[in-house]
Amino acid sequence: DIDDVGHKYYLELELEDVLDKGRTVSCTAEVLYHLGSKSSAPDVQATVQGELRSTQEADQEFYNRIRSLEKELVAENIPDSHGNVPPELEPIHLLAWAASGYVIWQNSTENTKFHLAQVKHVKQVKRTDEDLQFDYVLLLHEMVSQEVAPWEVTVLWHPQRGARV
Amino acid sequence: MRLPVLLAALVAVATCTETFVGHQVLRVVPKSDEDLQKVQELQALEHLQLDFWLAPRGLGVPVDIRVPFPSVQPVKAHLEAAGVSYSIMIEDLQALVDEEQMEMLRSSRQLPLDTNTFNYASYHSLDEIYTFMDLLVAENPNLVSKLEIGRSTENRPLYVLKFSTGGTNRPAIWIDTGIHSREWVTQASGVWFAKKIVQDHANNEGVASILETMDIFLEIVTNPDGFAFTHTKNRLWRKTRSKHSGSICVGVDPNRNWDAGFGEAGASANPCTETYHGPYPNSEPEVKSIVDFVKSHGNIKAFISIHSYSQLLLYPYGYKTAPAPDQQELHELSAKAVAALSSLYGTKYTYGSIITTIYRASGGTIDWTYDQGIKYSFTFELRDTGRYGFLLPAKQIIPTAEETWLGLKVIMEHARDNMY
Repeated sequence: DIDDVGHKYYLELELEDVLDKGRTVSCTAEVLYHLGSKSSAPDVQATVQGELRSTQEADQEFYNRIRSLEKELVAENIPDSHGNVPPELEPIHLLAWAASGYVIWQNSTENTKFHLAQVKHVKQVKRTDEDLQFDYVLLLHEMVSQEVAPWEVTVLWHPQRGARV
Repeated sequence: MRLPVLLAALVAVATCTETFVGHQVLRVVPKSDEDLQKVQELQALEHLQLDFWLAPRGLGVPVDIRVPFPSVQPVKAHLEAAGVSYSIMIEDLQALVDEEQMEMLRSSRQLPLDTNTFNYASYHSLDEIYTFMDLLVAENPNLVSKLEIGRSTENRPLYVLKFSTGGTNRPAIWIDTGIHSREWVTQASGVWFAKKIVQDHANNEGVASILETMDIFLEIVTNPDGFAFTHTKNRLWRKTRSKHSGSICVGVDPNRNWDAGFGEAGASANPCTETYHGPYPNSEPEVKSIVDFVKSHGNIKAFISIHSYSQLLLYPYGYKTAPAPDQQELHELSAKAVAALSSLYGTKYTYGSIITTIYRASGGTIDWTYDQGIKYSFTFELRDTGRYGFLLPAKQIIPTAEETWLGLKVIMEHARDNMY
């Protein structure tokens, strides 16, 4: 408890690579939830101890594949009702996860617990610059209220520049 | 997408003579003229018997190659030696073909002929599950019977399977799945549990010894209206489908509608929310029918309500912070059950009272059953912890059911050995 400021948490985390189970990396973080205000995202400082796996090749392959599509990519319900994700949409799903992380951070309090429930819809928007653009409708599930709410999220992505929401 | 068409063709072939055991489908995306050349070299090597699903067309465009098992190593060596990167799109083509074949059989509206050909590794519709129940009863008339304990808001029958080797009103165990309709892995697990009980009994192992002195009641689709809705309109529907006057919003949270701290903090009075407790306790027929059943049976010793997701094992209370009088015993029993569950696939569970482990929740099922005197009242929250959440891939159904069953057995055996 920090008087007149809020609540600070010191965390030691172990990150697991979902695409390479068994590969873990340690992380420390400090999270400060501000007193009272519901409109301010918590402050987060995080440090990763160790290296994250390089995904350069896969990133480039995905980038090239999408750039070479004649028609803009459009998809819905990822995963589908049975939990399936077609292999070629897996990167779209993973990008949605990253984007949802940002939305979740911006909307979290000490009394919320969000997860991405489903990508309801995604539409690629062709751009004249080098970024890929995806307009998503993401369904976020909040554990305490049990509500599932749709969020419209625009994501720009580039293999070297990463994701911007 | 091309894949299903190709697979369908393969299935047609596979049902004749050819097998694709060990075949892999590799993807190469040539990034340079050298890469392209190396791939084209492969095309010329006829003895490898390569089948190009996507022939080389240019730089940056994927080349997909089906590689028969004997050629897998040589092809990979050829690519690796030349520094051409590839990815494995399909690790075992036969497995995929088999899956697709089963899928096609299912989707061609062929109902299973018996519970041995029923596909436990996929999600089913309400009709398919109700058919399964009838098949199970027909195959095992001396062990299994189907009871209708009431009707849902939309007048669907509420069915409970009774597993009994005889006696009159024996002490009993109650298990329900699917009270929240979007938690699909629970109904699917319930179906698996039903078959498992029958198998154990036939082989005189597992729960066969429990069935010597106790009955098991299993309600697989506790919220059929909600379940039908998740198939037709909204996969993420949670509540019942009741309409109570004064609101345009539909549905009551059946796990806030019980008469235990009803309406207190931990539920919502707003009909448009997911945790709406309803106008009064037991307003929902899905809940009332169980209440009536439990009261008139009078001899239920363990009550387990199954949900997903979060990987938790919970005991009362949710509506108050005061610990349950049997807290210590329930806590120790939870530890044992979780250890048994984890022993199978290493799945990690957390356990404790509802209020200390997840959140305050009032009007909940097991708070009511516990206050009725059913000491062994538990709630499971099954896989996973959020990666897929409610949309758990079908291939996780059986592993989830198998590990959960080990935890359930610990609770059932404890109830049998600690009669009260």
